[in-house]
Amino acid sequence: MATVVEIENLRKEFGSVRALDGISLRIDDGEWIAIMGPSGSGKTTLINILGGLDSPTSGRAIVDGTDVARLDEAGLTRFRAEKVGFVFQQFHLVPYLTALENVMLAQYFHSTTDEKEARQSLERVGLGDRSEHLPSQLSGGEQQRVAVARALINHPKLILADEPTGNLDEVNEQIVLNLLRELHQEGHTILMVTHAPSIGRLADRRIELAHGRLAQISATSLKPEPV
Amino acid sequence: MMFWRLVFQLLRGSRGRLAVAILAIVSGAAVISALLNLDLGMQNKLTEEFRSLGANIVIAPPNAPQSPDVGSAAPVLYDEDVLDIGIQSVRSPNVVASAPYLYIIGRAAGTPVVIVGTWLDELRKFEPTWQLDGSWISSREDNGRCLVGRNVAQRLHLKLGRSLELAYADRNFELSVAGIVDAGGADDNQIFVNLPVAQKLAAKEGAISVWQLSVSGTPGNLSDYTTRLAGVLSQEEVRPIRQVTEAEGSLLGRIQFLIVSMVVLILILTTLCVLGTIAALAMERRKDVGLMKSLGGSISRIMGLFLAEVGVLGAVGGLIGAILGVTLSYWMGLRVFGAAISPRWEIFPVTILLMIVVAMAGALPLRTLGDVKPAVILRGE
Repeated sequence: MATVVEIENLRKEFGSVRALDGISLRIDDGEWIAIMGPSGSGKTTLINILGGLDSPTSGRAIVDGTDVARLDEAGLTRFRAEKVGFVFQQFHLVPYLTALENVMLAQYFHSTTDEKEARQSLERVGLGDRSEHLPSQLSGGEQQRVAVARALINHPKLILADEPTGNLDEVNEQIVLNLLRELHQEGHTILMVTHAPSIGRLADRRIELAHGRLAQISATSLKPEPV
Repeated sequence: MMFWRLVFQLLRGSRGRLAVAILAIVSGAAVISALLNLDLGMQNKLTEEFRSLGANIVIAPPNAPQSPDVGSAAPVLYDEDVLDIGIQSVRSPNVVASAPYLYIIGRAAGTPVVIVGTWLDELRKFEPTWQLDGSWISSREDNGRCLVGRNVAQRLHLKLGRSLELAYADRNFELSVAGIVDAGGADDNQIFVNLPVAQKLAAKEGAISVWQLSVSGTPGNLSDYTTRLAGVLSQEEVRPIRQVTEAEGSLLGRIQFLIVSMVVLILILTTLCVLGTIAALAMERRKDVGLMKSLGGSISRIMGLFLAEVGVLGAVGGLIGAILGVTLSYWMGLRVFGAAISPRWEIFPVTILLMIVVAMAGALPLRTLGDVKPAVILRGE
């Protein structure tokens, strides 16, 4: 199976604080990875670097053949548009755009917009009849499903989900997790940050971080790791 | 299309905040377009006002005396036909009135008086401010009637319709008084007859003293016409009446300076107002920009959206303001000049363009959005 993410000795420092301290990791195409660990362990920093939102202090982070650490601002912008799709805990939808327009916004920054495809993407997450609603007119679960539709619209190689169910009730949590499960079954590569062990167990592998280091890797089917 | 869809939604989403900016732009545009329309319209209105002061170009022989020689025959004379042909050859839509004048010192009821022979049908156009008791003479072939200055009428106890005998040397003419002129100046001491009457009295058929013209338009139009006329009538002295044209030019210059100063001041004030609003808006938009960057939006594409939004704001505000301003100047024209200043269509694109520039200058705080770090913003910091 092809490798989608390859991390080598990745370090990130914020002043005197070491957020990531020499992490090495490999993720194969189609894998669902859960990143777990206490607050401040470096989970979000790791996916921010893999998503091109932040740059490492040293080391390599190769996503689909592109070393994110070597990209300049313009390169990072293109990388974010083409290679990754984000799902945030806070949903982060543009409040004055409808559900449909929020999905099309990602298309707009990627290349050209296709309203039909954006509608299909919303139908896929069960929101075909809510496409003209503003985020304020949607429940938290619905907003998160719009965010999932937006993350998928440009067919990214990697879906980065930072506590995607952290702000949802049980019912909506289940809906979003079912969506992620479906995406996984379709072959998407998902990197998900979560605090909840029950959610972590849904992933192929669980990676525990502590103080910026890999503390533990557990998997349903363990693969050899270049740790 | 998505671009304009997003711009529209940006405008809609921030309509409360942007209402302040558009109010400033509309107000600024209204005052600026009113001033510009007034400035352009005023040039014509003032010129018209100055035209009411009478002729502003005189064609006279070189070194000719300014007034007729009292007690003598008419001064150096022209051939009326030669000048007429010359003047006719220099056509201009700005010529309001044009007429030859022959001044002679004759006698009326035994009293010496200046007799002015001219085309009486043109006199009304030359002297629109004259108060006339009686009626104007509308035909230059009417050799039986005359207009009499107020002072002459008083001295000679003349009434409307009464006959008056004009004499020069051993010749005389009997005319009836069609009107009594109150000009408030030297014209009140003169008698106005049609040109052939004066020529026959003086026994100078076809001769005139000067030719006068009243030309409308700006001082530039006047200067241009004078130059063209002087080119054709090279033997004569073609001169603008300086007092009128210089006063006109000087007044227009001062008013224009005042208006330009006010326009610049209003532009600065409007820009400052927009600047304040956009600075607040830029703070509000930091989260949106962080999100857009995380979705792969380059700062140039994101700023393109915001600048288009501000541009639309300037254009719409400019258009509304220009309509209000032109209406305002129409009303001001009625109040100041007693005549409406009609809209000048060039005001609209100029005002809209100025307001777009103002809005863009006011959008400078948006530059700070370029520094937004998506990771920091999305963490909620």
